[in-house]
Amino acid sequence: MADAHKEWLEKLESESRAKQEQFMNNISARLGHPRMTAKPQHPFRGAPDFWKAFEWPLEERIGQFTSNFLSVGGHVARLETMDEAKRFIAEKAEEMGAKYVIRQNEPELDALDLEGAMPASRVSVWNTDPEQHWRARAAEADFGVVIADHAVAYTGSVTVLSAENKGRSVSLLPTVLMIVIPIERLQTRLGEVLATFDEAGRDKLPAGIHFISGPSRSSDIENDLTIGVHGPGIVYALLVG
Amino acid sequence: MASGTKTEKTVKARAELALNDEFLRKAVRFTTERLRNGKKKASEEHGNWEEWRERGRQIRLHTIAHLDYYLNLFVNNARANGVHVHFANTGEEAVQLSLDIARHASAKSVVKSKSMVSEELHLNHALESIGVEAVETDLGEYIIQLAGEMPSHIVIPAIHKNRYQIAELLSKEAGYTLPPDTTALAGFVRKKLREKFLDAEIGMTGCNFAIAETGSMVLFENEGNARMVTTVPKTQITLMGMERIIPSWEDLEVMATLLPRSATGQKLTMYMSGITGPRREKDGDGPDEMHIIIVDNGRSLQLGDPEFQELLNCIRCGACLNACPVYRHIGGHAYGSTYSGPIGAVLTPSLNKNIAEWDDIAGASSLCGACYEACPVKIPLHDMLVYLRRRKVESGNGNKLESLGMQGFATVMGNSSRLGGVLRLGKLGQKLVVRSGVIKTKLGPLKGWNTYRVTPSLPKESFRDRWQTLDQELKQGLRPMDPAMRQRMEELVKQREREQKEGRGGHGHG
Repeated sequence: MADAHKEWLEKLESESRAKQEQFMNNISARLGHPRMTAKPQHPFRGAPDFWKAFEWPLEERIGQFTSNFLSVGGHVARLETMDEAKRFIAEKAEEMGAKYVIRQNEPELDALDLEGAMPASRVSVWNTDPEQHWRARAAEADFGVVIADHAVAYTGSVTVLSAENKGRSVSLLPTVLMIVIPIERLQTRLGEVLATFDEAGRDKLPAGIHFISGPSRSSDIENDLTIGVHGPGIVYALLVG
Repeated sequence: MASGTKTEKTVKARAELALNDEFLRKAVRFTTERLRNGKKKASEEHGNWEEWRERGRQIRLHTIAHLDYYLNLFVNNARANGVHVHFANTGEEAVQLSLDIARHASAKSVVKSKSMVSEELHLNHALESIGVEAVETDLGEYIIQLAGEMPSHIVIPAIHKNRYQIAELLSKEAGYTLPPDTTALAGFVRKKLREKFLDAEIGMTGCNFAIAETGSMVLFENEGNARMVTTVPKTQITLMGMERIIPSWEDLEVMATLLPRSATGQKLTMYMSGITGPRREKDGDGPDEMHIIIVDNGRSLQLGDPEFQELLNCIRCGACLNACPVYRHIGGHAYGSTYSGPIGAVLTPSLNKNIAEWDDIAGASSLCGACYEACPVKIPLHDMLVYLRRRKVESGNGNKLESLGMQGFATVMGNSSRLGGVLRLGKLGQKLVVRSGVIKTKLGPLKGWNTYRVTPSLPKESFRDRWQTLDQELKQGLRPMDPAMRQRMEELVKQREREQKEGRGGHGHG
């Protein structure tokens, strides 16, 4: 079965490679030039120059991020220390009666010791037991807790990257999402974060790069705004530091 | 089921249906207005909009002009990421590839996030024909799928349905009665589709942009269903128009600046996801197997065509729909195709290669240029509509009646005694149809006009009849003026000038 599947995929690949040439040759013939194999000059790469030079000081970044995130129905808390973040999450969990909590397996979150701070909740740590069905654990969770890899003030966005210890489901399937943002990761422009992916290059990119700018929403029924259609409907951004 | 096959009726007939649907007209107007104002506000707030538009256009122009290089680069990088890449010259080939993958995944159901390409291919029908359930998971798409209709707007597909109709559709699905309340309805859909996400063997997506240098694909969305589709099922299939390419992540900043603002007036959609290959070996989620099907289906025909190549620059934001006075009146269904509005009026005949069959949708435009003004990558859609009409006439598919009418007009207007004769005939003939000074008959050639208005009757004495008298009066009037009258008038002018200097008087524009 597995072999048959592999054989089928190999067959598809050889067909695809043959067709690739025909496809590309058709494009270059239509464009009226020989097949281009060298990288062309791209004088208009990325945002205009005036924009690339634009940067807000930290306090402005915090203010702009906050007002953008609030304007789409998200929540923001400005906290001094990780300890405050731990208390904040524990209090919210108690207030909302969160029974199941799932968190990423990151050292900063280990140090928070949410397990100790929330005795009433069952806290699972992503991908720590190969026997578990982790997507189901995330789907049943009331709270998901993640650490932001980057944040952008201008659009009010947070970036989370996937890895073995960082599930995509943790920021997607729970009802409530708690995002801890170490303040030094908060940038001004989207481009500052995007440039890091160009710099990293193809083989260093994670499978999933997700920008989150607030709660899941839809206006598909009579233009009436609904929150929490598929993803988390309640999202807290905790700016720490 | 969403079906885009062209129905027998003309745009005019479908538009009449739409014009008679009061709710549809109001909903379309309200929504397009909201989106248009949102875009205006967002682009003004962002500032330097013209520079961003120009930058967006340059990036798209550059990529399309070197598409063989960039697409090839994308394919090689995606393969290196572990993606199975396929090519489809036609919609039919893309469908066959999708079915082949579904069979090998022993799929019973496929969850789909919004993809205009899949609408273009009528893929849901095909999947169902081999016993695979296809579930649209975007809230609006899910609603129209249950209703068995086509999307009426690129960005808000169920714009034409009210909450009562939606409650009825969803109640049928639920097996119990749901209240016509947005939160309750969305809550039901969330629960229902959660089960579908967790059950489905295959997740299927479209692709907003594909990044050549890293082989990544990018999705913009608000609901989170595209993230679901790319995270939960074991197999992911992405359908991608061959022109979706941009060179780098840096270029994505420009597209991410233009697309959400132009589509909905948002600074960024709630989710923007970049997917680079299937899950890594040790990852706890994400698809095990990822396929990208690159679809031509008429797109390459635009390459090298100086009049239409820029069509491929389109980023599918829908701003031209919201700006178009014709779309705002008749809504998307009247266009009878997957893509509606100004972009649909040009894209559909171009992709279908048969201008003759789709000729009437190029006529559904007033050529006012609002679509060009709205377009974030400056596609000259109004020019393209003119080119289409020209090609239609050149290919011998012009409107026979219109040509005949134009010839007749030339004959009558070219000779003054002929015109006089026709007018006299008209005055006699109209006695049969004039009621209280206007013509209301909906018979004969006045039917189209009189459906929504009335035609004024020809006056008893026309301008031409009065010309002799007018001519004489004018000639007399040009004789020198009576000196007393002349003096009075000059006095008045002087007085007005004095008043203006003193800041009084009502003629200044100040």
